Amino acid sequence: MTAVRAILTLWLAWQTISPEALKHYEAATEAERLKQFDSAIAEFRKVTELEPAFAQGFVSLGQAYIEKQDYDSAITALKHGLELDPNLAAAHQLIGYALLSRGYSTEAISHLERVDDPGVLGIAQLQAGKLPQAITNLQVALARQPGNPDLLYYLSRATGLLSKELVDTLMAQDPDSPRAHQAMAENYYVLRQMPQAEKDYREALKLRPDLPEVHMELGEVYAGSGQWDKAEAEFQAQTKMQPGNAEAAYRLGNALLQQGKAKQARSELQRANRLLPDMPETLYSLGKAAALEGDTAAAEKAWNHLLEIEKATPLAAQAHFALAGIYRKQGKAAEAEREMKEFQKLQGGAAQP
Amino acid sequence: MVCAGFAAVPTFDVKLPRGLDFTLQNSPTAQKYLIETMPGGVALLDYNNDGLLDIFFVNGGRITTPISKLDSFDRHDPKYWNRLYRQNKDGSFTDVTQAAGLANAGDGNYGQGVAVGDYDNDGYPDLYVTSYGKNILYHNNGDGTFTDVTAKAGVAAGGWSVSAGFFDYDNDGKLDLFVTRYMEWDMQHSKDCGGAFHTYCPPGEFPRTTNILYHNRGDGTFEDVSVKSGIASKKGHGLGVAFADYDGDGFTDIYVANDGMQQYLWHNNGNGTFTEVGLEAGVGLSLDGGPLSGMGVVFQDYDNDGRPDVIVTTLPRQTYGVFHNEGKGAFNDGGLQTGITMMSGVTSGWGVGLEDFDNDGWKDLFITQGHVLDNVEKIDPSLHYLEPTLLALNRNGRFERADAGTDALVAGRGAAFGDLNNDGWMDVVTSVIGEHPQVFMNRGGSAHWLTITLRGTRSNRDGLGARVQVNGQVRFATTAGSYESANDKRLHFGLGDAKTAKVEIVWPSGIRQTLSDVHVDQFLEVREPERQ
Repeated sequence: MTAVRAILTLWLAWQTISPEALKHYEAATEAERLKQFDSAIAEFRKVTELEPAFAQGFVSLGQAYIEKQDYDSAITALKHGLELDPNLAAAHQLIGYALLSRGYSTEAISHLERVDDPGVLGIAQLQAGKLPQAITNLQVALARQPGNPDLLYYLSRATGLLSKELVDTLMAQDPDSPRAHQAMAENYYVLRQMPQAEKDYREALKLRPDLPEVHMELGEVYAGSGQWDKAEAEFQAQTKMQPGNAEAAYRLGNALLQQGKAKQARSELQRANRLLPDMPETLYSLGKAAALEGDTAAAEKAWNHLLEIEKATPLAAQAHFALAGIYRKQGKAAEAEREMKEFQKLQGGAAQP
Repeated sequence: MVCAGFAAVPTFDVKLPRGLDFTLQNSPTAQKYLIETMPGGVALLDYNNDGLLDIFFVNGGRITTPISKLDSFDRHDPKYWNRLYRQNKDGSFTDVTQAAGLANAGDGNYGQGVAVGDYDNDGYPDLYVTSYGKNILYHNNGDGTFTDVTAKAGVAAGGWSVSAGFFDYDNDGKLDLFVTRYMEWDMQHSKDCGGAFHTYCPPGEFPRTTNILYHNRGDGTFEDVSVKSGIASKKGHGLGVAFADYDGDGFTDIYVANDGMQQYLWHNNGNGTFTEVGLEAGVGLSLDGGPLSGMGVVFQDYDNDGRPDVIVTTLPRQTYGVFHNEGKGAFNDGGLQTGITMMSGVTSGWGVGLEDFDNDGWKDLFITQGHVLDNVEKIDPSLHYLEPTLLALNRNGRFERADAGTDALVAGRGAAFGDLNNDGWMDVVTSVIGEHPQVFMNRGGSAHWLTITLRGTRSNRDGLGARVQVNGQVRFATTAGSYESANDKRLHFGLGDAKTAKVEIVWPSGIRQTLSDVHVDQFLEVREPERQ
């Protein structure tokens, strides 16, 4: 209970109930403040016995039960309070929380919809299987409390379940469709069952050769199994279909780089950088491609630019390490040592014995 | 001159020669004792000096479950002996283990690797066998038998030794001995990882330990100089070891492949001490600055620039470490340039060699592979315990995958390189966990070659540590390298279409020797001059 709500409730009680009941109410509130919930419950019960028409007394009793985690008793008290005053927002919120805690999510939703608590409502909707509504409400709650770990978890779970539900629907309705094969392939990829993933991606492409993202995903399958020439072909197919896709250009550049095709890799990575400038990953690979081609000045420039953008990330550590390499090659011992120190600082000494 | 682009295509006949009936017994258990997945070494040596290479295999042992505190590993049981096979004139082999005095391998020793070197300069190669337990130095008596001289020599080590190699770090003409050790681990304090899957644990689960350097006193005994040389100043998870003089200062340096961490390059300071310079030299970490699961290592020149480079085999999700020697003590990653990056990343490499299999004048790459976890498919179905062997031919410094002569999937471990049938074409013998070895007999071709045996006088008798240049190609004389294994001491050079060769040798003593207009296609013994 917030301090404001406590003061208002006390003011209301002072206006409404008898002095004896008010004495018990004040004692209950003090016990609750001291987290002496059994005492608080006993005092609130006396209030409700002395003032059986005082709805707020049942709400306060219900809240004390919730704080004691006795949700069943809380539900009984709160329901009684709502019978006396069906518009009590606090009662709806508390009973919604208590019902949700006991797993009665559908019943909880009817109460939570009457108050402004999108986080708890979203969780109730998630548990009730109302996934789109849950996602909407959890996103609203997360916007109010960015980074809240509970909300992040529930939102990820809701989106995951919705995704699975949609895939299940897709598989049930048209199991031989290209999208169904794509979905199956994605599932196999997550399970690292690469031959099966490849087979389904290929099937999808046979049915719909115009699906650019399937080429990219299939390319990733090949990249993950070290088949860089095949990966290159798939990324190439996607970039042909989507020349404006920076990620495709980046992946193609990387596949070329892995095969030591420095000039082509560099060209593709430069294109990726033009499409989506200053992505640290692109800059890092661009530096590698330039170094491989022997253009150490360009490599140095790319990695230093990366370090202007990222200071203390793993990629920044890699850039320092890479810079040390080219300085070492150039015989610039002091510069190489400086970069190695920066690298080791970012690694937290992990590379040290 | 090196013949660039010589088009000979090597293929191996992969078959088990008659009489070679060894099986590598590793005794896999449900408890996943880490030693089970780490053996075993292979050595190619001519122990009886009859001109034919013989083969020595290191065996694991039997592990009882539940483990007993004093497990003998049943090394007295012939099934678990190390084995020496003498090559007969017809190419078959005869098991001479017992006759040679190599039966049994010491109770409590679970075998790992082997080193070969003539530590007493008597003209017969001696054997040093590493183990979890105690290592054994077998002196070659010159009459077809060996004697266990470990106690006298003082080289038992202890703990968990893996690879070893003989080299002469102080150029005093006597071979010293380096031993890698993996970790502080014992059977009683083992554990398994992988949760319900039960897998072998990564090395990071156990404390690091020191490697050992033994100095040869020349009287049949060795002194442990690990501390005073600086070698013990850094602990690690040592597996492979290889030697070469990377900075041309005349003293042999040491590269140690560490598992799951930085790799070590021990620079020989020339005064009996070493300084670890892996990071400063650029040979300690991957291209992206990550640690490597270093297992096998080869320290030879792959691009014919005269400087020894390093290739380290690793686990999947890493690419094999390729470190190109740029000169002036600096290396740079060469994985992308050489094409080796794209040939690794999903495989686990162990035994490794850079040998010119097609005699075109460029050293090719051979790696025996197989994942460290015998149930890796349960954890990641895209990886496999049994893997194919990698042969990659060197085309002017860039490697291209080639047919190794078999597509058999194996759990390869050790690999030793040499010319088994003396035809001038390099062959390979690998060890395979739980199986017979693989013998890769080179089918040969028309290109020319030269194989040199060094006969040191002021230097150690086999000239280990010498820098030998033939028509522009350089080899560093060593029997060490690969993983747990020892190679033919002879130096093989492919010469392409060259009709003659120019041989330039820098002996460990510092003496330089040049031979011109040497006939090709011969086995040449070169004796070190007594003085410059």
